[in-house]
Order: sequence, then structure tokens, then C-alpha cells
Amino acid sequence: MRRVPEVLRPAIWGPPVVAFGLLLVIWQVLAQHDRFLLPTVGSVWDQLTHDPTTYLYNAGVTLSEAIPGVAISYVVALLLALAMTQSRLVTRALLPLAVVLNVTPLIAIAPALVVAFSFSRTPRIVLVALITFFPALINSLAGLRSADPQAMEVLETLHASRWETLWRLQLPSSLPYLFAAARVVVPLSIVGAAVAEMVSPGVSNGLGWLINSASQNSELDIAWAGIVTLVVFGLVTMAIVVVTESRVLHWRGFR
Amino acid sequence: MSLPPRPPAPSTPSLARPAVEAAPAFEGSVTDGRDRIVLSGVTKRFPTLAWPALDHVDLVIERGSFFTVIGPSGAGKSTLLRVLAGLVPPDAGEVSVFGEAPAEAARAKHLGWVPQSPALLPWRTVLENVRLPLEVNKRAGCEERDPEEILARLGLRQASSMLPAHLSGGMRQRVAIARAFAFAPALLLMDEPFGALDEMTREHVAHLLLELWQAERPTVVFVTHSVTEAVVLSDRVAVIGEGKLTAPVDISLPRPRPEGVEDTAPFHELAGELRSRLKRAFIATGT
Repeated sequence: MRRVPEVLRPAIWGPPVVAFGLLLVIWQVLAQHDRFLLPTVGSVWDQLTHDPTTYLYNAGVTLSEAIPGVAISYVVALLLALAMTQSRLVTRALLPLAVVLNVTPLIAIAPALVVAFSFSRTPRIVLVALITFFPALINSLAGLRSADPQAMEVLETLHASRWETLWRLQLPSSLPYLFAAARVVVPLSIVGAAVAEMVSPGVSNGLGWLINSASQNSELDIAWAGIVTLVVFGLVTMAIVVVTESRVLHWRGFR
Repeated sequence: MSLPPRPPAPSTPSLARPAVEAAPAFEGSVTDGRDRIVLSGVTKRFPTLAWPALDHVDLVIERGSFFTVIGPSGAGKSTLLRVLAGLVPPDAGEVSVFGEAPAEAARAKHLGWVPQSPALLPWRTVLENVRLPLEVNKRAGCEERDPEEILARLGLRQASSMLPAHLSGGMRQRVAIARAFAFAPALLLMDEPFGALDEMTREHVAHLLLELWQAERPTVVFVTHSVTEAVVLSDRVAVIGEGKLTAPVDISLPRPRPEGVEDTAPFHELAGELRSRLKRAFIATGT
């Protein structure tokens, strides 16, 4: 007899489906009670199904800011983490700066970034990179330091070069940490891009802009349709990360 | 620097293998000894330890022999091995691995290291793990063995494409041994490699190691807690306590060690002698 996949068992999918259904019921009750609190579920659905192109186009704009931003953030974080693992001096110099960056209210510098980089997408990409940088750096650093010390000794007694040790041991050891960070950072980059669109002057597209302008015009159904689109794309990108992780880190599945 | 050839492996097992002579006191510069490992007045202290981890250790290990160090926890066994591997520099004294400093020996890929845990790379298959030493520091140009053949000799032919996570503890340790033999190092340093295995697996893996050593004859410095393992495997065994190494005991049992050697009277006599030395070392360290 064929074994039913875990995810198809009612005990697995049942509870979240019931919870989601309850949420929709509560939403509908609240929307019918006060139409300025929430739009009805049906009106949001109508928005999404009658004009999907608007939401897909604006989602594309937001993704075109989020993906380069998170990619830049990861590359810079990994390079800095590599430098930090090679030199304590570099760690002492850079880690406090990274902490300062982490506690800086980055959204507040969005208008200044527009002044610095003009009205192009660049300031929003930079903002996404800044928002996602700290978790990417900390996880890269933890990952590179997570290599099995006894395996490090094996390579040391073979007189492996720093590059060989990095390539054959430290970088593969860091992958679980990089993927763990990606699960948080990739959806965060979409939220970051949307928020950057809301607070940056001169923006006229993207889901953040759509949600903001619809809210200002009291078009709650459009605003919530934009929010639902953000959630859907957040879930899709996270699913892509999870599936990629399970493929790349297939050797971990047996632990 | 190239090393002189190893002693040939005996073509026919000799039951009357002569006991390994007690190492003569080494005179002259330690770098003269191209056929032996020499430690002269080696001392190493750690700030967290009340006594020196190694206290003026003098030792000569002949090329091709199987030398075991036994002692209580914290007695300095692993430190001795790490000094020989060049992982820890001594505070005083000289170390020569067949005429080379440990760092030079590592550079020339003359050292094989088998740590306490197998330290396999979980993303590489068994065969890829065994090949690892052949892929790094290629400039050293070591003598290579066929990894698949070594795996077969350790009973792992079927497992060569498996990931470490699929293997039992004993199999993983055999892979670690295969990895160390893959590049035919002149000196194999083994730091309690069977410590985490159950008794039966331990005996099995130890016998496989012995067979491989008998065929390849690298010099082995082996650290263990087990008196039985020390006597079964070794040519000579030294007890270490509070960083002081006692004069090695010659294990004058025939090679290859026959099945059931553990039940013979000479074995018990040697094990008894080592146990009494070990007891003194335990009392000295207060463990």
C-alpha cells in the first residue's frame, strides 16, 4: 500500500485550513459591522479577479526592488563575513557598525536616499539591502564559524590553504545558516520594498504605493487587495526558498 | 623533502616477530633522525591546567611501528598528539617527525590525522570524503592510494556512494580511517578514534585497522583509554600521567595478532602491567 504523503493527511492540513476559514468568517462579520474598518472578503476578491493585471504589474515592480536588494545584501554580507572570519581586527571594526545599522530607523532615511540616488528604483533597492543586511551578515558569520573544528584540524594537518578550507569546508557548512536567514530575509525584502515605496517621495508604482494611495482615497478594497497580493508573493518567495533549501541541503534530511 | 622508503610489509605473517626494542636514548640533534620520530624535552602548559600538559617528554618512535599512549583524561595524551601534528606548538623542547619539524611534515602531507569524531563532511559521499586529502594541498605531491580499494579493504565497498548520515558510527569511523590511509601518510596520528563506539564495533574496527596497518605499515601514534585495545594493536605502549610519560612497555606478542590473542597469558601479563602503571597515573592526577 502506498504511503500517503505527510502534507496530504487531514491531521496536517486540517488545523491551518480551519484557522484560516475562521479568520475569513471573523473578517466578514467585522466588515459587515463597519465598512470603514475592513472591506468585505467578496469585494477584495472582486478587485483581485476583475483587475489582476494591476496587482501583478505592481507586484512585479516591488519584486524588481526586493530581489536585487536582497541579492546585494547577501553578497556584501557574505564577503564581509569572510573578511571577519579571517581577521579579528576586521570583526572588531565592522561588527559594531553593523549593530548601529541594525538599530538605525532605516525607513526614516528613505527620503534622504531619494536625494542621494534620484527618483529611480535605486533608493528603494538600497533601502531593501540595508534592511536585510544585518540578519544576512550575522547568519553568514555564524555559518562560516560553524564548521566542525575536528574537520578543520584534518584540513590543517593536510596543510590545506585558506581558500581550500573555505571552499571545501566553511562555505558548505555555512549553507544551512544562509538558508535559515533567507527564510526570514527574502519575505522581509518584499515588505521592505513595499514600505520603501510608501515612504519614498515621487513613487508612482509598486504595491506599497498602490496600498498607500488607495488608503488615502478610502478605497479599502483596493488597499486590501494590494496587501493580499503582498502576502501571496511573500508566501511564494518563502516556498521557493524552502524548496531550494531542501534540494541543496538534501544531505540534512537524514539527520 | 622526501622521506626514506618505509619498511616493507612482511609477505608472510611471522608468528615469531621480534619484539620491538625499547627505544635507545636519542643522542645528538633531533633533526638527524630520518627513521624515527623524536621528542626531546617537550613541555607544554595551558593556563587552565594546574600541571603541565606535557612535562619534559623524551620519546623515540621507530618508523613503521605502532605506538600507543594511554592515560587518564587530562593527562596530556591528546596534547602529545597535537604537538606531533603541529596543531599546538610546544613551549619548550624539540620535535622531529622523520627529520622534519611537524609544520614541514604537514606541508609535505606526511601526516594523517584521525580525530575523536570521524569529522566527515556530511554533504560528500563516502568516496568523496576519502578523496578529500587527495584534493587539497596538491603541490605536496603525495603517494596516492586507490580510495575505492581502501574502502573495500575496510568492508565499505557497498557504501562508497552513500552519505555519512546513512552510516552507523562504526562505518563512519572506518571512513575516517580510509581517508587517513588514502594519501599514504608516513605518520598516522589517531586521537581516541574508537572512543564513541560500542565494545563489539570497537574490536571489529580495531582489527580492520590492524590489517590495513600491517599491509601499509605507516608509523602510527595512537591514543586510547582502553588497555585491551592498546595491547592488541601496539608494538609499544607508554602511560602518561600529569604530562609525564613513563618508559614504554614492549608488547612482545606475535604479529599478525591471532584471533583470540586477548585470551592468552602473555596478553594478560602485559595488560596487567599496563593497568598497574595506569592506576599509578590515575592516583597521580587525582582522577
